[in-house]
Amino acid sequence: MTAIDGPLALGAGDEVKTRPGGVFARPSSSTTGWRSWVTTVDHKKIGIMYGAAALFFFLIGGIEALLIRLQLATPNGKLLSADLYNQVYTMHGTTMIFLVVMPIGAAFMNYLMPLQIGARDVAFPRMNALSFWVFLFGGVVLNSSWLLGGGADGGWFNYAPNNGVIFSPSHGIDFWNMGLLLTGISSLVGAVNLITTVLNMRAPGMTLMKMPVFTWMSLVTQFLLLFAIPVLTAAQFLLMFDRLFGAQFFNVEQGADPLLWEHLFWIFGHPEVYIMILPAFGVISEIIPVFARKPIFGYPFMVFSGIAIGFMGWGVWAHHMFASGVGPISVAAFSVSTMFIAVPTGVKILNWLATMWGGKLTFSAPMMYSIGLVTMFTIGGLSGVTHAVAPADTQQTDTYYIVAHFHYVLFGGALFGFVGGWYFWWPKVFGYALGERTGKINFWILLIGFNLTFGPMHILGLQGMPRRTYTYRDGYGFNLWNFVSTVGAFTIAVSFLIFFWNIYASYRKAKKAAGGKGKKLTMPADPWDARSLEWMIPSPTPVHNFDVTPTVQSLDEFWHRKYGEDEAGRLVRIAATEDVVQKGDATDVHLPSPSYYPIVLAFGLPWITWGLIYNLWFCAFGAVFVLAGIYGWIMEPSTDPSDGHSHEDDHDDDPSGDEASAADDADEPSGDAAPTEEAALVD
Amino acid sequence: MTGRARLTFAKASALAVGLALFAVGCASNAPQDTLKPAGPQAKQIDTLAMPVFYIAIFVGIAVMVMTVLVARKFRKRKDDTGDEFPAQVHGNFKAEIAWTIAPAVLLACVAVPTVFTVFDLAKKPAADALTVEVYGQQWWWEYRYNFDVDGDGKVDQIITANDLVVPTNRPIALRIMSRDVIHSWWAPALNGKKDAVPGRVHPLTIEAPEAKEYIGQCTEFCGLSHAEMRIKVVGMEPADFQAWAEKQIVPFQAPTGESAVAGWSTFASQCTSCHRITGMTDPSDPDSGKLFEYPPVVNQVSGEVPNLTKLMTRTTFAGAKFDLRLDTPECKALGENWASEPEGIKTCFNREQFEAWLRNAPAEKAMHPGEAPSPESRGMNNFNLTEDQIDDLVAFFITLQ
Repeated sequence: MTAIDGPLALGAGDEVKTRPGGVFARPSSSTTGWRSWVTTVDHKKIGIMYGAAALFFFLIGGIEALLIRLQLATPNGKLLSADLYNQVYTMHGTTMIFLVVMPIGAAFMNYLMPLQIGARDVAFPRMNALSFWVFLFGGVVLNSSWLLGGGADGGWFNYAPNNGVIFSPSHGIDFWNMGLLLTGISSLVGAVNLITTVLNMRAPGMTLMKMPVFTWMSLVTQFLLLFAIPVLTAAQFLLMFDRLFGAQFFNVEQGADPLLWEHLFWIFGHPEVYIMILPAFGVISEIIPVFARKPIFGYPFMVFSGIAIGFMGWGVWAHHMFASGVGPISVAAFSVSTMFIAVPTGVKILNWLATMWGGKLTFSAPMMYSIGLVTMFTIGGLSGVTHAVAPADTQQTDTYYIVAHFHYVLFGGALFGFVGGWYFWWPKVFGYALGERTGKINFWILLIGFNLTFGPMHILGLQGMPRRTYTYRDGYGFNLWNFVSTVGAFTIAVSFLIFFWNIYASYRKAKKAAGGKGKKLTMPADPWDARSLEWMIPSPTPVHNFDVTPTVQSLDEFWHRKYGEDEAGRLVRIAATEDVVQKGDATDVHLPSPSYYPIVLAFGLPWITWGLIYNLWFCAFGAVFVLAGIYGWIMEPSTDPSDGHSHEDDHDDDPSGDEASAADDADEPSGDAAPTEEAALVD
Repeated sequence: MTGRARLTFAKASALAVGLALFAVGCASNAPQDTLKPAGPQAKQIDTLAMPVFYIAIFVGIAVMVMTVLVARKFRKRKDDTGDEFPAQVHGNFKAEIAWTIAPAVLLACVAVPTVFTVFDLAKKPAADALTVEVYGQQWWWEYRYNFDVDGDGKVDQIITANDLVVPTNRPIALRIMSRDVIHSWWAPALNGKKDAVPGRVHPLTIEAPEAKEYIGQCTEFCGLSHAEMRIKVVGMEPADFQAWAEKQIVPFQAPTGESAVAGWSTFASQCTSCHRITGMTDPSDPDSGKLFEYPPVVNQVSGEVPNLTKLMTRTTFAGAKFDLRLDTPECKALGENWASEPEGIKTCFNREQFEAWLRNAPAEKAMHPGEAPSPESRGMNNFNLTEDQIDDLVAFFITLQ
């Protein structure tokens, strides 16, 4: 800060008293405990919170699933009334999609993307925190329905006019609407954030085609979110105005066509399923090469097939509407487009197999889950191809054959991949490893339970059992496989109990080995001999990520620092891992400071939603927090008091300091670093 | 067992189970089985779908087998003394192009007959098709026929519910509509499903090859009793269908017998704010032959409830949730005219369930009629009828043949 002359100059001898922000002071970045989580803007903490919240909602959605299976275990089940069943199945689907699979994807993307591109954080750290809190409150709003008159009961895709107040007079669907409007905001904000991050904050030398496949799949996912969420939001606004404010958008008597809802929903809904699967595709694209000891087969094809899936995913939505009366021209067109989207997906399956071919395979827990995705997703994808044949789909749609299909791709695909990802990255995130042996037992029980649950549903569907039915009759041939499916569902439950136990037991074991309470858990930076940048830093990840931002020269940069090729083209070690891995001990790294305002702002939103449903005074209450949050966000200083890197501290008027490295985080003020550290910032 | 052997075993058994499942899948008693098409449209779908299923199964097995083989062949062995690393292959452009193009070509081969079948199934039905209007509403199906039954040059209208009676071996041109939310009409043995969307008319052609019953149900979630909106297509030889249709348009005959006459009055006073019997005369003035004047239906969101004309010629009631005619082989053998057979009412009438329905309909089927009939009612109320009223009503309904 240069000295100010003229009327604003301080009198000689006056000291500049530093109290950045005054009442808007940011929380100290040295806060610990729950406060540090509530005010964090660190992408790693946010990623962990997404994962934890998703697991919590997974328990809720899982219980809802077990209730469904208990009701359907026998014909004429009496456990759940029709009304309660309709709520349970709607909430199960809505929870699993919006509060489990998507947030687990967000957990991985938030934690890993900045690391994989060599960045210190995302482009907009406070917005990142906002995304998480808004998502969490959205999940709370959706589930508050259970306590406030009953869950949403129109099915997760909630067709009009059944979703209107005449046919669904309870508030359940209003909670569905509001909860998902909030999670939609979360996803949209996150998409802007992560796209900006990837496009602008890659380490020097990391061109787009040197990014790991996981980062690429995540980038495509973010673009899908960016364009798909607003369509759902638009449909939800129309519904909200119909239900709460007397609009007539879906009133047939006023000339509405219910297919409008279907089209809007599925234009969102189809990209949505690729949003759910692409991150998991990315996860296993990282895992398989590590445990095959060779690179991903066909990196360009893997990247471009992901882009192709993202692009083509916009052209297939009406395959959810083959029986809806859209007419043969639409049906034929969407049937053909749906068939062709199988092509890039098939390329991926074959490329993963080709990665394994000729490798030296280790069947670690992450590897087994990844192979599980490859095989289970193939089954789901093939049943999907049978749906693409539109006339056949008119027999399959709205039956358990479809339920089988999407569980194979979402559970057998996305969830298997994500569990593998947990086993793989757990050491990096938490500093201890999940037990391998338990992990394998976990895998087998899950695989068996999963296939027992959803395999028979193919048969049930082809034998004519419709979905979304709270009971079925005796004498239709549905009894045996429904019972088997229920047994499978409880087997899945057991496998997840084992998973949670594994987390707990592995933690205890590691704590004991580290010397008991209070000791920090650490692990080698690179326990798997992996390939990408996140393995080049200590486990658990230091808060500042990289001591120095790496300069990237190739795809799988970390791998190529450890291994080179000899004249015969064989791999030889060129550096010990300990020499390549960063120490994690840089002390003077400026990081984005924590902030109260993301959670303050987010906190107001559920009150606005409850207010819209019940009483507009709640909206006023919520609006106070939203406005306070926005105001504080704008007014708070750019750094926290303990940061030591504020504008007012140890200034150095060196103009060259203004040209900070592009790879540094966005918040770093200019000219505060000593020249030697400047040079050391880039490696 | 070693990990590799376990892997192989698990994959192989999963495969075996999968195949067994599929084989066993062709169960003997599965009235909605899509794999046993009966009508020509369903058969056409099956002809297209079966090869695609087989291709999919083949590809699925191939991928499973390949996975198992790769896992076995390239597993890192403990005694591996060779290079620590395998050849660091980055890709194979030719192979990747090949396995991009080959599936695309295969799918193109599937696409061509698919498109052809889509348009063929959507074509207008033949000129001799019988048109039936199908109305879906929460939670039952109505069927309306408009054709000249008795050859007098005037179009007759038959309004019925639950049982869709059709002549065999003749295309039936369904015009599927809805009076409230989206439903979907599906009789798997005859054709794929088609949604009933309010404000729209969706055509669907079916054809019953034999004089038997084809079962289906609503297949688009439509609220509380979506699971209980059954469909029964009853095929009849053309002569029998003609007889059925002629019976449907026989004018209302006032009942005789004390209980039935009392029931008739009860019907007129308790039920006619919603229910209709076509051509019913007024029980308060039976000899005059004056037609009963029905009040408009205001206490039902969809605006209609099942028409009860010739109720006893049907086999189901309450949106086909319940059998009107018991579902035993002997009773089924009596056909649609079961009630007029001497033993019909005695042995095959589901009296107990029918009375339970009259006694307290909401307790028998999940509906939304509200505490009392109102314009927001969806479904039938509990009218707190006395047992005598119920007995009388049953006696009256039995005369609707």
